[in-house]
Amino acid sequence: MRSLAGAFFWIVLFCAVITATTSIDEDLNIPNEAETAGNAYQTCSAECLSSASEEISTDGLELTDEEIKVASMGNTSDSLSLYESSESIKYPFHEQLTLRPLPRSFMFASFEFLMRSNNFTVGEKESDFNAYRHYTVFPKSLSPLLEYTQTRQLHLRFTHGRWDSESWGQLPHEGRKSGGTGVELWAVIEAGSKDDAFHNWISLANSLSGLFCSSINFITAEKTTYPTSYSPLSDESSLPIFNTSNSLFLIRAALANEPICTENLTPFLKLLPTRGRTGISSLLDGHKLFDSNWQSLSLDVETHCNAGKCQYHMEQFIEMVFNVPNSLARADTPIPKPVQESELRCDPTKPHDAWQCFPLPQSRDTKFRLSKLFGRKIIGSSLISEYPSKVCANVTDSWKVFIDVNDALFSTEDNCFTIKYDNEHDLHIESTDTSNVVEPEPIPLFVSRSLTGYGQDSGGLRTVFRNPSNETVEASYFETLPWYMRIYLSSLTMESVDGLEIEDVIQNTYYLPAVDRQRPTHLNFKLLIPPNTSLALSYQFDKALLKYAEYPPDANHGFEIESAVVTVTRPISYELRTSTLLLSLSTPDFSMPYNVIILTSTVMGLAFGTLFNLMVKKLITVEEADSRSSSSTSLKAKLAGILGKIMRTSRKVDVEKKHQ
Amino acid sequence: MNLRELQVVAACLASRFGASTVFPLLQQQLDKSVEFSTPVTSYRSLQEGVFLLRNDFPLYSGGVVHHPPLLVAFMSSFNSTNLISLLYACADALIAYQLISMAKCFRNSPLPAWVPGAVYVINPLVLLSSVSKSSVVFSNLAISTALLSALQGNCTLASVSIAIAAYLALYPLLLLMPMLAILQKDKLKTVVVTAATLAMLLFSSYKVNDESWNYLFSTYGVIITFSKIIPNLGLWWYFFVELFEMFIPFFKAVFNLFVISCILPFSLRFYKQPFYAFILCLSWITLTKSYPTLGDGGFLLSFVPFFKPLFGYFRYSVISTLLFIHVSVLSPIFYHLWVDLGSGNSNFFYAISLVYALGLATVLVDLVWAMLRIEYDKGKPNIKLKLTPV
Repeated sequence: MRSLAGAFFWIVLFCAVITATTSIDEDLNIPNEAETAGNAYQTCSAECLSSASEEISTDGLELTDEEIKVASMGNTSDSLSLYESSESIKYPFHEQLTLRPLPRSFMFASFEFLMRSNNFTVGEKESDFNAYRHYTVFPKSLSPLLEYTQTRQLHLRFTHGRWDSESWGQLPHEGRKSGGTGVELWAVIEAGSKDDAFHNWISLANSLSGLFCSSINFITAEKTTYPTSYSPLSDESSLPIFNTSNSLFLIRAALANEPICTENLTPFLKLLPTRGRTGISSLLDGHKLFDSNWQSLSLDVETHCNAGKCQYHMEQFIEMVFNVPNSLARADTPIPKPVQESELRCDPTKPHDAWQCFPLPQSRDTKFRLSKLFGRKIIGSSLISEYPSKVCANVTDSWKVFIDVNDALFSTEDNCFTIKYDNEHDLHIESTDTSNVVEPEPIPLFVSRSLTGYGQDSGGLRTVFRNPSNETVEASYFETLPWYMRIYLSSLTMESVDGLEIEDVIQNTYYLPAVDRQRPTHLNFKLLIPPNTSLALSYQFDKALLKYAEYPPDANHGFEIESAVVTVTRPISYELRTSTLLLSLSTPDFSMPYNVIILTSTVMGLAFGTLFNLMVKKLITVEEADSRSSSSTSLKAKLAGILGKIMRTSRKVDVEKKHQ
Repeated sequence: MNLRELQVVAACLASRFGASTVFPLLQQQLDKSVEFSTPVTSYRSLQEGVFLLRNDFPLYSGGVVHHPPLLVAFMSSFNSTNLISLLYACADALIAYQLISMAKCFRNSPLPAWVPGAVYVINPLVLLSSVSKSSVVFSNLAISTALLSALQGNCTLASVSIAIAAYLALYPLLLLMPMLAILQKDKLKTVVVTAATLAMLLFSSYKVNDESWNYLFSTYGVIITFSKIIPNLGLWWYFFVELFEMFIPFFKAVFNLFVISCILPFSLRFYKQPFYAFILCLSWITLTKSYPTLGDGGFLLSFVPFFKPLFGYFRYSVISTLLFIHVSVLSPIFYHLWVDLGSGNSNFFYAISLVYALGLATVLVDLVWAMLRIEYDKGKPNIKLKLTPV
């Protein structure tokens, strides 16, 4: 019976695949697609039909793009020789690795992955009867999630480390692709009301939590804000609303204490059509990535609609900054050891012998391979994408970059290399002067924030803004603080050596106070910072005591306060985040619950009991009380009486005995 | 008002105003100490309210403001710091004057009338509380006005004042019961006037607060539910920090009932000594309220001179004095050890708050005992007689 049911199931599954694949040509309407590629699709879909019948037992309905690739490549020997190689299958996927040396032997590496989903029709749900959706390069896991939670824009950031903007210049992509330390999530959700939007937001956060193996599910109302002005919303007009009675809600939350680790990278790579097995993503290894000084994983999904047909655009960035000598040394000796005497470079102008050595500054020459930095080589190109994988190096003349294909080195004019085939590639980089790097772009505004005060019951926040440019900077300062920081906005003061007043700088303030256990403080300043000035804004806050169970394990470590977001709008568009803060709260004694309950109750009982006793009882003299107690009414008196009788009788007996 | 009384009131005004102007940083320091400031009475939260009101920000949508809207609106009409210091000094001087007037109400008082006022003026707890600009001063003023007018038989003013006190700090509403005993006649009128005044205050607050009732939770809800857990000298804070989550609602009800529990018994038992019952109720509230300060305790202690005839009967006067000294010396030290240095833990300060509660309880018990004794002696002290309750 069971085998019969199994067979029936497979037949149904097979039929589903046939209906699915025959409708593939309607669904697979990818814009910017070459005509030949379109043909290839059709043949591919025909191929899929035959291959699916073989592979279905293992993969079921999960006809992902890779299977399509495998199928089309594996069957080239079959008679349908409309195409020769896999290059003719093109999907809207683009990947590029950019390397940029930074001052002081640092190296910035940016892995960029862009992809687009297939078109889908507004109002047609995935769960509808006979609805069919084909996923090519767009991850299958995200699309139902976005549809279910009505998310029109999704932005997720995992960032860790410190970007040294003083020497490295601007953050990549004008700071729009990197969050504050920890996890940052914001989304534009379409809903009928704020409550519905929040409900969707929570289910989005919970789903992403599972998808990315991180604690995004810790996002609650306590951490969620509804920013009024926040950079991603600048192009709100282009955001589609599927149901005109709804409106869009921008919702944001950040988890500053979330560590970013290997388990977050793996799901990130799984979203890629190449799965980290070919193309530039084959370089990515958790050990190397998270060994860097600064790393950022970002995911942005946007919905773009045109005449009822919609499409998701997804951008994934994995970016990091290495210290090259350190990384290379780590590759040679995984366990750090002191430098051998023979390898020490001592300053010859100063005395040096076996016992003392004044080391020279680091050598400006360098020569290394990408495979040594990342521990792996690039395994071929992403063969399914519209564009082949690209590796670019953004270097000055003192650098030489070669690509190594089958032990042959090649170079190009613009230091950009296209990876075309599926053999291993490596990059050979050498320089005669590592300090000669591409001039970093100037930062429009430096912001640093710190905690002041020493007690665990109150403190202050001080934010220093420095405008190094010759132009007035217009910026928005967005801050979310947890409810246990009870801030006093009235204590806002400004220090400035240039004699500026608060009114000159703060153009506009948005303030939504926190509600205990329900809502964080939401503070937004519109600032106008004059050229070549620096100023400090500070305000005071009290720290609340939490309930026993609300403290996390290791409560004395403190609480991470998420970074503030500064969005510069003029003269250039730029976004930066301050570092996170560690707030220590006073803690109760965690071993005391029963003692406290007992001691407090005792004092209460003592006061109440004594007073009650005095008020309901009658006052009498002590003598009277004694005489009363000696009367036979009380139990004690009775006992005393009985005892006395026994004593007397026994004495009598004794006396009688003596008499005898 | 004779010269001595005038001197006392002037000294009160001068000491408060002088301390505020000569040591301007003292105010901030005291306002941050948990002994003199609580979330519902602190001056910085009042200032925040004034700031938010002036800048059209939401006043009671969460945040740190727990003062009633009319007080915030009243304070927002003052701009200069000195003027505000003068206002607090005047309020305190008025309390001192009212204490003197109260003493005059008792014709056969063994003490000169200026003594309770002088005790109030030199009481360091009251002085510091006033310098910290805690709003306790205003509710104390309303309570003493109510008590004085009740003693003088001015039923309307007494009921209006007790309504204002209740509006400012909620718990003084309970003092209406012993006040009715003082007034003896026009009881219904008193209740009606109090209720009407309170309703009017609440309604005008509703109007002032942009026609929103949300201030009710931020002001009175916070007091009843003890939702802002910040250390203070009361019995509530550590209990609710350490209590298991599921029992919290039950024990909040128990603690609130505990505040009410002794009001009716005191009023009934000492119906013949209504002034005395009033003070007992006041001290019971001071002992059991959710956000007590030393300002409340100091105000309470200034009534002790009125009971001069009872002093001989006090059994624990040494113990309670020592307990109060113990608290006032060790409480700042232990709090500093816990919060700033980290070399002590929360139990240190908790112990001090228990000692303070014990101190208040011994004073209360002593007062009750002494009154019962003098009742037994029918007004003629016979201290050598040993009595016991059975």
